[in-house]
Amino acid sequence: MKHNSLRFYLRIYRKILAQDLKSKMSYRADFIISTIGMICTNIAGFVGFWILFRNFPSISGWNYYQMLFLYGFSLISLTPVQCLFDNNWSLRMNVYSGDFIKYCFRPINLFFYYQSEVFDVKGLGQLAFGIGTLVYAWVHLGIAVTPLVILKTVIFLMTASLIMIALQNAAAATCFWIQNSFYVMDLVFKFKSYANYPITIFGRFFRFLFTFVMPIAFIAYYPSLVILQPDNVPVLTWISPLVGCLFFWLSYKYWMYGAMKYSGTGS
Amino acid sequence: MNLKKYITLTRAGIIESLQFRLSTIIMVLGNMLYLIVAYYLWKAIYAAAGTDIVNGMTFSDTLIYLVLATALYNFMEMYAVWEIGRAIQSGKIVLDLLKPMEYRSYLFWSYSGSFVMNFIATFLPTFIAVCIVTKGAVPFGINLLFFAVSVIFSVIINYSIDFMVGTICLFTESIWGINIMKQMVVTLLSGATIPLAFFPEALRKAAYCLPFQSIYHAPLSILLQRNPQPADVLPVLGLQLFWCVVTVVLSKLFWKVSIRQITVNGG
Repeated sequence: MKHNSLRFYLRIYRKILAQDLKSKMSYRADFIISTIGMICTNIAGFVGFWILFRNFPSISGWNYYQMLFLYGFSLISLTPVQCLFDNNWSLRMNVYSGDFIKYCFRPINLFFYYQSEVFDVKGLGQLAFGIGTLVYAWVHLGIAVTPLVILKTVIFLMTASLIMIALQNAAAATCFWIQNSFYVMDLVFKFKSYANYPITIFGRFFRFLFTFVMPIAFIAYYPSLVILQPDNVPVLTWISPLVGCLFFWLSYKYWMYGAMKYSGTGS
Repeated sequence: MNLKKYITLTRAGIIESLQFRLSTIIMVLGNMLYLIVAYYLWKAIYAAAGTDIVNGMTFSDTLIYLVLATALYNFMEMYAVWEIGRAIQSGKIVLDLLKPMEYRSYLFWSYSGSFVMNFIATFLPTFIAVCIVTKGAVPFGINLLFFAVSVIFSVIINYSIDFMVGTICLFTESIWGINIMKQMVVTLLSGATIPLAFFPEALRKAAYCLPFQSIYHAPLSILLQRNPQPADVLPVLGLQLFWCVVTVVLSKLFWKVSIRQITVNGG
């Protein structure tokens, strides 16, 4: 079997995943508490929306259900980064302690091997909550369900995911250059809560900033317009799948560049 | 009383945080970004409401309240839950317990240095930025003094709650899940995400009966009073003092009972 074929990598991934899940199962209490914690956080976000809209009917022309749609959309699009790329959070510690060197000696793609090591199961709770929110908002908004709309939703959810993964990769990779990159990751992690609001609330300068410099608007706003305002979709929405792929590729290159520069700690 | 040992720990903390200058800059940047997002979001919300005052709070009041709540959060957050949890998991806790100082106060004083640094490096710049953005809506007067006293109480209450939650890790060996639940409860019920004034009646009453509102709501509501009368301020401070005593005593008792439970895997 060729060592760079997709099938080869899928087979390896399955094996690593099984090992990871087995080790997680030995900390059952941690798993249960973490899942409950995850769901609680999502409920808190929901309660926040509910309290806000009890006081105000709409924000910048967006009503309660449209905002919920945006919220559900961003929750679902965050699932891949939560489930598949969670090991980015440990990168800082691995680099600092020197453990990272072990990943460099495998005859497979370094980035793939590092990320595949952890699968974060609690992200699935978030996925379920996100789907529930999206469906609830969808039904109340009375959007027709056609195969085309579903296809569009899936494509643009994937776009949003790619952007979020790219942001997190880039933030995690800063640890190859600076100590204590936790704050960079924490900052990027907070971006996701800013993604819950329509970009139209911002002034012109910050709209530009959040679109092109820190692409927060691509996490939920631009992709969701395809479903929410099908008659009036801006060009930025149509090119967002390309933007997603480009950002992901760039973040991958940046991550690998940092990893290649890594020379261990000597221990 | 031998103060020297505490001051030595504070000094060490200050020197340690001076090592991480970049993280301070990133934290201030993050705060500024939040200031921008909150500014535009609440401007849009107030524009939709059509009135200047909602639930007794003007736009500037809300902005000051929310941004300073985040600044206070960054300044007070000491990741005590993580620290205790990691110390338990790695077995390092044994060494900490051997120190000629109570673990609870050792941890607090070793963080006190970063309190001082965070206050100067992150809280003050944010505070000044808020004053400029809201064009002097922050009243300057005796209320600043009450605010300072109130923040000291907040630090103690916050630390005691953190310490209690950290103690739970002795039983569960789960850090992430416990910590995220704590964060969710504290940020929502203390009014750090949405001012308590916007809460529905029943929920607000419930929040007032819990210690969390003493962490962020109490100091901020004091700060926002233009002409604070002792009759207004003293009950708030009194309640904070009450929660201080209760949480300190409870956290000490809980630790004392739990420490017998400790199981250390190596070290």
